[in-house]
Amino acid sequence: MLEVKDLCKTYTGDGVDYTALKNVDLRIDQGDCLAIVGKSGSGKSTLMHLLACLDVPTAGQVFVDGRDVSAVSEKEKNILRNEKFGFVFQQFFLNGRETVFENVVLPMRIRGASANQISADASDAISAVGLADKKQKKAKDLSGGEKQRVCIARALVGKPQVIFADEPTGNLDSTTGAAVEKMLFDLNRDAGITLVIVTHDDDLAKRCDRVIEMKDGQIVSEKRRGETI
Amino acid sequence: MKTWDMIRIANRNLFRNKLRTFLTVAAIFVGSFTLTMTNGLGDGMRNYVESQVKNIESDRVIMVRKKFDKPVGGPRAGAPEEYKESPQEGDGEDDFDPNTMLLTVPQMESAVRGIDGVKSITPRYSLQGQYITVDGTKKYKLELGVLSEGITQKTEAGKTINGDGQIVIPLGLSREIDPNIENLIGKTATIGYKAANGEMKTLPLQLVGVATKGFMTNYNSFVDTATARLIHSAQRTGEGVDKFTGFTVQMATAEAAKIDAVKKKLGENGFEADTIADTQKRTYDAIGIFKTGMSLFALVALLAASFGIINTLVIAVLERTKEIGLQKALGMGRAKIFAIFSLESVLIGFWGALLGTLGGIAVGLIANKVLLTAYAESFEGFSLFAFTLPSIATVMLLVSGVAFVAGVLPAYRASRLNPIDSLRYE
Repeated sequence: MLEVKDLCKTYTGDGVDYTALKNVDLRIDQGDCLAIVGKSGSGKSTLMHLLACLDVPTAGQVFVDGRDVSAVSEKEKNILRNEKFGFVFQQFFLNGRETVFENVVLPMRIRGASANQISADASDAISAVGLADKKQKKAKDLSGGEKQRVCIARALVGKPQVIFADEPTGNLDSTTGAAVEKMLFDLNRDAGITLVIVTHDDDLAKRCDRVIEMKDGQIVSEKRRGETI
Repeated sequence: MKTWDMIRIANRNLFRNKLRTFLTVAAIFVGSFTLTMTNGLGDGMRNYVESQVKNIESDRVIMVRKKFDKPVGGPRAGAPEEYKESPQEGDGEDDFDPNTMLLTVPQMESAVRGIDGVKSITPRYSLQGQYITVDGTKKYKLELGVLSEGITQKTEAGKTINGDGQIVIPLGLSREIDPNIENLIGKTATIGYKAANGEMKTLPLQLVGVATKGFMTNYNSFVDTATARLIHSAQRTGEGVDKFTGFTVQMATAEAAKIDAVKKKLGENGFEADTIADTQKRTYDAIGIFKTGMSLFALVALLAASFGIINTLVIAVLERTKEIGLQKALGMGRAKIFAIFSLESVLIGFWGALLGTLGGIAVGLIANKVLLTAYAESFEGFSLFAFTLPSIATVMLLVSGVAFVAGVLPAYRASRLNPIDSLRYE
């Protein structure tokens, strides 16, 4: 589903080069539940951005469904992200002035879906995260856990193959965090959505099938569930 | 993203910071309000002048007078003139003799001799009338003019002069004589004028029409050429009898090329030749220049307002950096981001233009009403401000266009934002 080969990313700023990723190889299959862990600055976010086609590698290749995305135009990458990927961010990035509904349907609006399609898919996604009764509430009036559930609904609404979650529970207390985690794992297990979670929370990582640990831009270990870290 | 969705989103974005949007719209409002007012004023003046000069029409008459050449050795234009002691009055070399402007009929004839398309010429008669009466008892003061053959006078009742022994009288006078002006048509009007020896002479004329209001026709009654010739020969004796300040040329055709050729030929022969359309055009041009000049002020206001739009949108892009980042991450293309900000800009322009033109029209119409009650006597049928759909549409389009251009820079900046950096923006 997703594969990177010999991936390098170097940032250049103020004449000093900073290497964020060094020769990373990784393969993620459909239905995988993968955690990328590591300290800040280890390159885990950079890897996620490259996997999600949000950034362009300095060297190496990214394959989505076997297709090298370096050959794909900006426009096609936009369509690819919109149709195949969903995103959940630590900071939510919700528009507080808009309703839950409007926040959730943003990917569908970007896609240019019909009003009927939007309303049907949005109802499914909002029900899936248990917010059906708060559909018309303004996003700013929700609690933190509810906000992250709106984000999951937004990630879910376009029926993606992969959901990228960047510290999804980082801004939540342990109880609401656990609920959000459960929701993500259920989606992976029941709907077969591939899950890529970037986190530095070991407890969250332990619940994933695969955990890769990054350090100084390289993968230093990979563990499958059942193995001890 | 669908176009309608983008318009909806752009419009909602405008309401995020209502005060800021309002102030930006207000600046645009000032510009478009001014533009609407200056346009309305120009159009109003033009309409008025048009209604006044359009009374007299002719597509085949050329008015001719001698070209006024500056005497040789005269001072340059506008320069103060040095006083010179002259031994004798009228001996100075830059003295102007009005007699040199006068023309005799043979001079006129020779001026047009051999020019193709000329049908006839009519000297410009200058007549002094005394009175006019319809019922024979009540006499009114008479200002007398001549309607050369080929010139049509617009009428409120009856029709223009089309034969000998006819007169067209002004609207004001005819209403005084009989409020139902139609009754006057076909009646005999007797005019009185003084002959050269001071003797009062009378002349019965057929009243054929009542003139529509206009610059000249508010006070003057007009007679035909033959009648004018008759009065002229009675009023002038001796040397002045066959000298005129100018003449009109009647063309056999209304063909523009032929008329231009005649004008050119007369110009070469030392005459100034203008059609009625020429003189009207000069007036319109003057109004056009006035209108353009006024509009420049409005455009300056608009320019200032467009900087307000740029400022507003630059701040909006900064405020919404994270949102733009998210939209891009979720697959929104650059063109769409650009389009949303451009739409916001155009909407600001549109609302400003709409309110500005509506405000301008409202103020203009009120001003017209006030003016009508205050100056109804002297300016009947005059609207200071005139608003036409094309000119309003032009203002709206222009202002929206200016707003669009102002939005290009911020919209471009928004479209170029990198999604990852934008999502991290603090």
